[in-house]
Order: sequence, then structure tokens, then C-alpha cells
Amino acid sequence: MKDLLIHQWKEKTRSPFWQKNIWINIVLGIVGLYLILNFLVIGFFADVILKKLLATTDVVEAFARGLFYYLAFDLILRFFVQQIPTLSMQPYLTLPIRKSTLLHYPLMKSIPDFINFLALLLLVPFFIKIICTTKPALFSLNWIITICMLVLTNNFLNFLLKKYFSKHPLSILFLFAIVAVIIYLDMSNIWSCSNYFGSSFLAIAKTPLLVIIPVSIASISYYLGYQFLKLNAYVEDSQTGHRMNPSEFTFLTRFGEAGNLLQTEIKLILRNKRPKSIMLISILFLAYGFMFYRGKNIDNDLILIFTGFFLTSIFAIQYGQFSFSWESSFFDSYMANKISVFDYIQSKYLLFALTSLICFVVTLPYALISYRIGIVNVAMLLYNIGISSVLSLYICTYNTSYIDLGRSQFMNYQGTGVTQFLSVIPIAGFPVGVFLGFKYLGIPQFGVYTLGLIGLVAIVYKNLLITLVSRQFLKRKYKMAMGFRQN
Amino acid sequence: MLKIDDLTLNRDELVGIVGNNGAGKTTLLSLILDLIKTSTGFVQSKDLAVSGSDHWKDYTGSYLNEGFLIPFLTPIEFLEFIGKLHNMNTPDVNRFLNENSHFHADDMTSGKYIRELSAGNKNKVGILAAILSKPEILILDEPFSNLDPGSQLWLKAKLKKLNEEGVTILISSHDLRHVTDICNRILLIDNGLIIKDKNTNTETLGELEEYFAAGSDRSMTD
Repeated sequence: MKDLLIHQWKEKTRSPFWQKNIWINIVLGIVGLYLILNFLVIGFFADVILKKLLATTDVVEAFARGLFYYLAFDLILRFFVQQIPTLSMQPYLTLPIRKSTLLHYPLMKSIPDFINFLALLLLVPFFIKIICTTKPALFSLNWIITICMLVLTNNFLNFLLKKYFSKHPLSILFLFAIVAVIIYLDMSNIWSCSNYFGSSFLAIAKTPLLVIIPVSIASISYYLGYQFLKLNAYVEDSQTGHRMNPSEFTFLTRFGEAGNLLQTEIKLILRNKRPKSIMLISILFLAYGFMFYRGKNIDNDLILIFTGFFLTSIFAIQYGQFSFSWESSFFDSYMANKISVFDYIQSKYLLFALTSLICFVVTLPYALISYRIGIVNVAMLLYNIGISSVLSLYICTYNTSYIDLGRSQFMNYQGTGVTQFLSVIPIAGFPVGVFLGFKYLGIPQFGVYTLGLIGLVAIVYKNLLITLVSRQFLKRKYKMAMGFRQN
Repeated sequence: MLKIDDLTLNRDELVGIVGNNGAGKTTLLSLILDLIKTSTGFVQSKDLAVSGSDHWKDYTGSYLNEGFLIPFLTPIEFLEFIGKLHNMNTPDVNRFLNENSHFHADDMTSGKYIRELSAGNKNKVGILAAILSKPEILILDEPFSNLDPGSQLWLKAKLKKLNEEGVTILISSHDLRHVTDICNRILLIDNGLIIKDKNTNTETLGELEEYFAAGSDRSMTD
């Protein structure tokens, strides 16, 4: 067990990514600290918040009810963010290490995870401030043990969930629907799940012997996780399970060679874990309009522009910021084969245009809220196709890091470099700048038209722009290829 | 670090490169394919610098390593993709596969993605893709590695036949017997230098074996 820990530590510290990207580590560190502070503050003032929010005096009871939501949220958050600590098992399977050790290892290793730590940050201040000081010792002890066990249950359940949903991605939506229905029923007091949860939770805390229940739930979830890993530990198993769908996008062939490349890139997106998860997140993000298009915001052109930019380019920007890096594992093949650079760049341009158009059409119903949303979004669509795409591709010629297509997107910073941080500034900054310029002149409406017009002109001259990017690409290609080979 | 003053490969030659790991074989092939930049000097193909034009890609087929394969395509999709680049349609590719059916196992048509294939089968897909477009120049890096014995024999015969049909071929290999069997010219590279450049005759195999044996003797007595 100790050796395994050491090996994993080496895997972490010796991964080229960790060693190279100091900046990302710093940014991540700051974000982490911020989260920690937030949770601490919420935990410490939980009683005050609950009193105000629910207008009750029994904070302990309210907290127990709130816990239901927290655990549900926690499970969903884990599903997206928590990475299951997998030691790549293959090299160890044939060594004289007991198999159960190899299986217990990832389970135990998941306990000191950042998310569990966050849960503690939330619970401990409340525990010390309210429970410890006002309730009997036995109750307090039961209380904290029960909560810890429930958090651990979530932790182990996540192993099952992750694997299940990575095999059946569509059932995620189903799960979300169920959660939404439960929350709705709860909120409207038709069937108050959180009440049941809260009162049973308190009942357990009051009766010392009942603490067996949460402990056994946690043990069962651990056992399930263990069994599950055991089933999946065979080398061969990890490679079967899916079959290709004969998805040919024949209509793309009319774009000639660029269409051929585009077709391959679409397969890249659909058949690999990381780009596919970017696609799923993008779909979720399209709902962001409901958050922005509200109240006074409708009259704020700047917010409309920003949201329009975001909605019509969400996938193109998210996926496109790693352009070329996506092909890093077979970049040499593109370089040595008969593929003209112009067509290569054009295929990516087409992908930008196509996905932006799809996002635009899907988010068009927002125009029902206000016709001005429609106008702004058309302008932003033109701008994104004409300018953002070309700018992004130009900047992406500075991508030199390898991307493993098979890894999940969440909390995965592989391929992220200074390029990704800097690229946001010109791409999103320019439209905002143009608009503010016109607003300063007192004719904000013209800012929107101008952006649309700039985009339109850029689309007309797309071949010229693509040629410019191609030239840049030719200058950079050796450096890119060299970087991609160092994985 | 590769140091070559001048090296000319002539039309219709079948050239084999041999040398220890790290000698510079793959570097040489990558330079010819314009995958890495020369620090000084240049590579020309048909009198045109490879770094300055794409013309050589029309008539050059190559397979160096897995980096030449698109992992998430099925072998058939990959070959069709390469075929389309050379204006070949699906029936053309199918005809090609039928002609070379001895070389590919059922795995090729099972619908598995390339990333799921064994090393040997990946190698086969790469080699087939390299010869698919009927190139005038064929460049392969260790084509015999991971192949089953039958496939090795098939590939030897195929390379010989292609060469007789006028294809200029450049391969690297660790299998001295294979190389001396089929190549009509051998380059021996060591530490970035071309030590020997000879046309093959009956004694070549013996000479090469002697050279490498001497090398391992030296390191054993060290």
C-alpha cells in the first residue's frame, strides 16, 4: 500500500504538465483558497442564514432539512468535478500484490478528497458553534458521525455513478429530471422529502443506537464500490463495451477536402470522452440565457452583447481554444499526408461556423423575451463566424501541448496554457470595446450594427483571412508538432 | 543529432537503414517527411525542397509510427479518409483491400476503432494506408515490427514487387536478414553518422552481423 502511494505521488509530480504549468497551478490555488473561505464563512454563519431564509427559530431542525439539499448538490457536484483516483492498474495486476489491496486503494484514496474537505469546512463551524455548545454530548457525537457517514456514502456512490453515466450518457438527463421533480415536490410542499429526511436525521441523532444505520449505509456503499471496481479490474474489460455507429455526414462532402477533414473532426468530437463532455457542458450552458435575460438586463445592451457573444460561440470557443491540440496524437499524419494547410484551416473555420449557427438556432427562442435579443444575437453570430473563429485559430497556432482525448474534461487542465488565458482578451474584448466606443458617442445601437457588419465583411473575405492563418500555421508547424510529440 | 553531408537516393532503389536504437534512423525519415526542421541543410524531393512545397505529398506514402493513425476511426474509415485525399472513392478502397486481403485480419473489418487494435494490427493499417495511394516513394519505419511471421513474409514480397514496379522505397529495420534479403542498398547509421553505404551482395548480411556483434562484445567487456 505504501509503495502504491509513493508511485502515485511520483505520477503526479512527474507528469510533464505539473512541472511546466506554474501559472495554472497558481490560478488553481487562488480559486481553491477562495472556495475554502466561502465555505468557511457559510458554515460559520449557517445559523444566521437559515434563520433569515426560513424564518424559523429551530436552527438545528432547519439545518437538518437543508442537509438534504446539500447532499443532493454534493452528489451532483462530485459527479462533475471529483476525479476517481485511479492508479493505472495494468502494470500492477501481474505483480505479486494482493488484488484486494489494489481495489481498496482507490476507494481509501478518495476519502481525503478536496470535496470531502469542503463538506467538513461547511459542517465543522456549525457543529462547534451550535451543536456542541447547546446540545448534549451524545447527541453531538451522533450528529457528526451521521453526517460524515452520509458524505462518505456520496463519495463511494460517485464511483458507481460515474462509471454508469459514462456508459449511458443520456441517462444523466433522466437523473436530472428526477432530481428536479423531487425538488419541485419538496418546494411546493406536496411531498416534502427534505422534511422526512430532516426528521429521520434528527431521530437518528437523538437515539444513540440508531447510528448503526448511517454507518451501515456508508459500509454498503463502500462494498458496492469495491465490488464494482473488482468487476472492472480486468484488462480486457476496459476495452470493450461500445460499438461504432455508422455516422457518416455525407452532406459535408460538398466542401471537398475541407469537408473530409471536418467529417473526421466531428467523429473526433463524438467518439472521444473529453470533446464529448465539452459538447454536453455547452448544451447545459445554453440555458444560461434564462439567468441573463431577466428584468433590467433586457435594456442593458452590454449584457445583451456579452450574452449573445457567449451563447452563439459557447461550443466554438470552449472546443476551439484547443484547436490543433485535439489532433496532437496524430498530428504527424496530417503533416505527412496530402492535406493542404488551407483546407485544414478551412475545415476548422467551417466547424466554428456550423456550431455557432447551431447554437444560434437553438437559442433563438430567447428572442421571444425581447426582439432586441434576436437582433443582437444575429450580429454576434456574424461576428463570431467572421472574426472570433479566425482570431481563435490564429492564436491556437501557439498551442503546443498534447491532449489525451480519452480523459474526462472536468478539472482537466491538460492542454491549457497561457494561450488559453490570453486568447479571451482579444476575442471577447474587441466586441465589448467597439460597443463601448459607440455608446460613448451616444449611439449604442450602432455598436451592435457595426459588429454585425464587421463580421459580415470578414465572412466575405474569409479566404483571405484563412490564408493569413495558414501562413502563420506554416511558420509554427514544426514547433507545434514537436510539442505534440512530447506526451 | 544527425550529421549527413550528402545523401542521394535514386529512383527505383529499395534502401534499408539499419542502426542501433537512438542512432538517428527515425530522425532521418522524419526529416525527409518534413516533420522536423533541419538545423542546417535541406531535403529535396524531385529537386524541390520538401519544406517549401507540398508537391512531394502527392507521390509519397509513409508510415513511421502510431502518430500516423487516427485513433478514433475504424481501419476502414481511416483508409477511406486517406483515399479521399488522393481522390479515391469507396469502391477504389474496397478493391485495394481485396487485392491485399492476405495482409489484414478480421480485426480490420470488425468495426473496432484503431485505438483498440493490437500493435501488429495497427502497424498493418498504417502500412496499408501508406501504399493505398500507389505512391512513387514509400517510406516505412520498422515495418516488420510486431507483425506475425506470415505477414512479414507477405510484406517482404509486396515491397519487392512494388520496387520492381518502379516504387522507390526507404525502410528502416532491426531485422538484418529481412533487410539484406530485399534491399538493394543498405545504409548503416551510428550516432548520427552514416558508417556504411553499400549495395547489397551475398556478403552484406555477414558484414552487418559482424559489425553489430562487435558492438555488443565491446559493451560486454567494458
